[in-house]
Amino acid sequence: MSRRSLPIDALDRTVSALSDDALADARRAALEQFKKRGFPTTRDEDWKYTDLSNVIDISERWLESSTGTQPTDVDRVRELQTAIDAAWLVIANGELNRDLSTAFDDDGIEISPLRLDDNGLRLDDPLADLNLALLRQGHSVSIAADRSSARPIGLLIIDSADTAPTLSQVRIDIELQANAEAHFIEYHVSAGDDEHYSNAHINVINRSNARTNYLRFQNRALHHSQTTRLSVRLETNSAISHCGIDLGGRLTRNDLTIDILGQGASAIFDGLYIATEGQHVDNHTRIDHRVGPAVSAQEYRGILSGRCRAIWNGKAIVHAGADGTDAQQANHNLLLSEHAEIDAKPELEIYADEVKCAHGTTVGQLDERALFYLRSRGLDRERAKRVLTRAFATSIVNKSPIPELHELIGHAVEQRLRDLATGAPQ
Amino acid sequence: MLEIRNLKASIGDADILNGVSLTVNAGEVHAIMGPNGSGKSTLAQVIAGHEDYEVTDGTVSYKGQDLLALEPEERAREGIFLGFQYPVEIPGVNNAYLLKAAVNAKREHQGLDEIDAFEFLKLAREKMAVLGMDPKFLNRGVNEGFSGGEKKRNEILQMAMLEPSLAILDETDSGLDIDALRAVAGGVNALRDPERAIVLVTHYQRLLDYVEPDFVHVLSEGRIARSGDKSLALELEEKGYEWVREAANA
Repeated sequence: MSRRSLPIDALDRTVSALSDDALADARRAALEQFKKRGFPTTRDEDWKYTDLSNVIDISERWLESSTGTQPTDVDRVRELQTAIDAAWLVIANGELNRDLSTAFDDDGIEISPLRLDDNGLRLDDPLADLNLALLRQGHSVSIAADRSSARPIGLLIIDSADTAPTLSQVRIDIELQANAEAHFIEYHVSAGDDEHYSNAHINVINRSNARTNYLRFQNRALHHSQTTRLSVRLETNSAISHCGIDLGGRLTRNDLTIDILGQGASAIFDGLYIATEGQHVDNHTRIDHRVGPAVSAQEYRGILSGRCRAIWNGKAIVHAGADGTDAQQANHNLLLSEHAEIDAKPELEIYADEVKCAHGTTVGQLDERALFYLRSRGLDRERAKRVLTRAFATSIVNKSPIPELHELIGHAVEQRLRDLATGAPQ
Repeated sequence: MLEIRNLKASIGDADILNGVSLTVNAGEVHAIMGPNGSGKSTLAQVIAGHEDYEVTDGTVSYKGQDLLALEPEERAREGIFLGFQYPVEIPGVNNAYLLKAAVNAKREHQGLDEIDAFEFLKLAREKMAVLGMDPKFLNRGVNEGFSGGEKKRNEILQMAMLEPSLAILDETDSGLDIDALRAVAGGVNALRDPERAIVLVTHYQRLLDYVEPDFVHVLSEGRIARSGDKSLALELEEKGYEWVREAANA
């Protein structure tokens, strides 16, 4: 397969049309880099199982149609803001909606236009180049030192594609100053009959002793696609607890990379993906233990039905000298259909001596013993299956880092599982 | 209540039950004893409707209906309860949720409304107190991380909540320390009732010191080799199962 890019003229025109602000140079540089490399292909090891053709087609159509901005689904935003008490940053189709964003009023949260300390280029991610090249606005969020608030910061990424294919780029850089603690919910939702592709890149830096609790929740329309990257840097004694939940979307690819830079850091990252007919969901995680002692643990679970495909690739690298590392990874999959496919791949690279690493993956059906047990208590077979399937998902939901949201997320998961059972669309 | 005639059952290629006949009436407590591999657990599983076992011959009637034609859940709603030898751990399913779902499945079958949430909790707490169970167990995953004794108490709790017509307890006494055995036996005795039949499947005589059976049957090689009253259990304890097998084959 040859490497695909996008029509150069249209790209140039689109990037030139963006405002001539502080990001202009960075956009140009990113554009040049993207032009050279194009999109990843299935020949790239990290993209072996995920073919971006659909996303490229949408991008091309979007470039050709050069449509104006789409209206924000204000009702949907308000509905969510009622359901979840948070300080919101609302990004609709890649643009900040200042009126609906409540995070600006919150003490201890400073939000400003994206500042790039370097040229902002990543050497290893063409999607980051595409993101920066086409970025209308980016945001920097700084959490003041010692600030601790139980009220989450909501990053609402809402997209609509009502009259034309749309593409949106989101970039948010978050920095937690020393001893700060913050909760985040990154909430992806989209609607509209036309096609949509969202490409979101979020960076988190935890300064010493900072704690980040992070829930990423995605419930996009089933014909919309997304790629996300969350990059986390952990300094001394800082911690992140993360959970990513994917229920919707046609093609979903999430990259989560965590760099442990300081001793005593801790990274817990879990995930749940539910996919059915026509869905493709790919979670790639990478953790770099650069120093020790430090701990990391991840557990991803998937529930697959119909003809769908899921990928979990968990890479853990324990660098030379990172003694005292404890890295655990697990991936469990429940296959409810013989047409569903899962590619699960743990990768451990260990260059240090004193480490504790373990991984485990399972792929299976519902436990017949448990099914019989429930039936012997009067639950019919279908209900017993539903109960067990939900239980499989619940263990991740209940571990997710913002307890106040367990019920809400649990309901959404349950609703999705009900759709799965009845074969109904979203 | 339960009428088993010449029941034969197999799993895979192995014939396990080779013609069991047994009548259990309301108000009676039966003990089914026998060596390992004699078919005790299979008999319990077949009555509960486990699909791994194939019934190749014979009939089982329960309250006048053909039990073998019913799905496991239908049997449960009709009042059959199987206390498992190895209760299954189900992480993510709340113990209270299962108890309530089970009670309501039965009530719905009986044409009753769902149990009131307050009433349910009150009842569950009462039964747990009798069994010496911490109410915290209600909010834990079903049998998740329970010790052997806690799992067996949990089975008895489910039984107490469901008030079955026919309770079959499969090796409920195995692996219990003396306190747990007493608690479990107390739970069983509390359920003795003229309207209810209880079948205790057990390897040892020990449980029968606490729950006195009306009848004792010895299963050997898939058949009932001997039946008697509780003195048979004591005789077995003394002479061992080999004695029954020899007597049966003589």
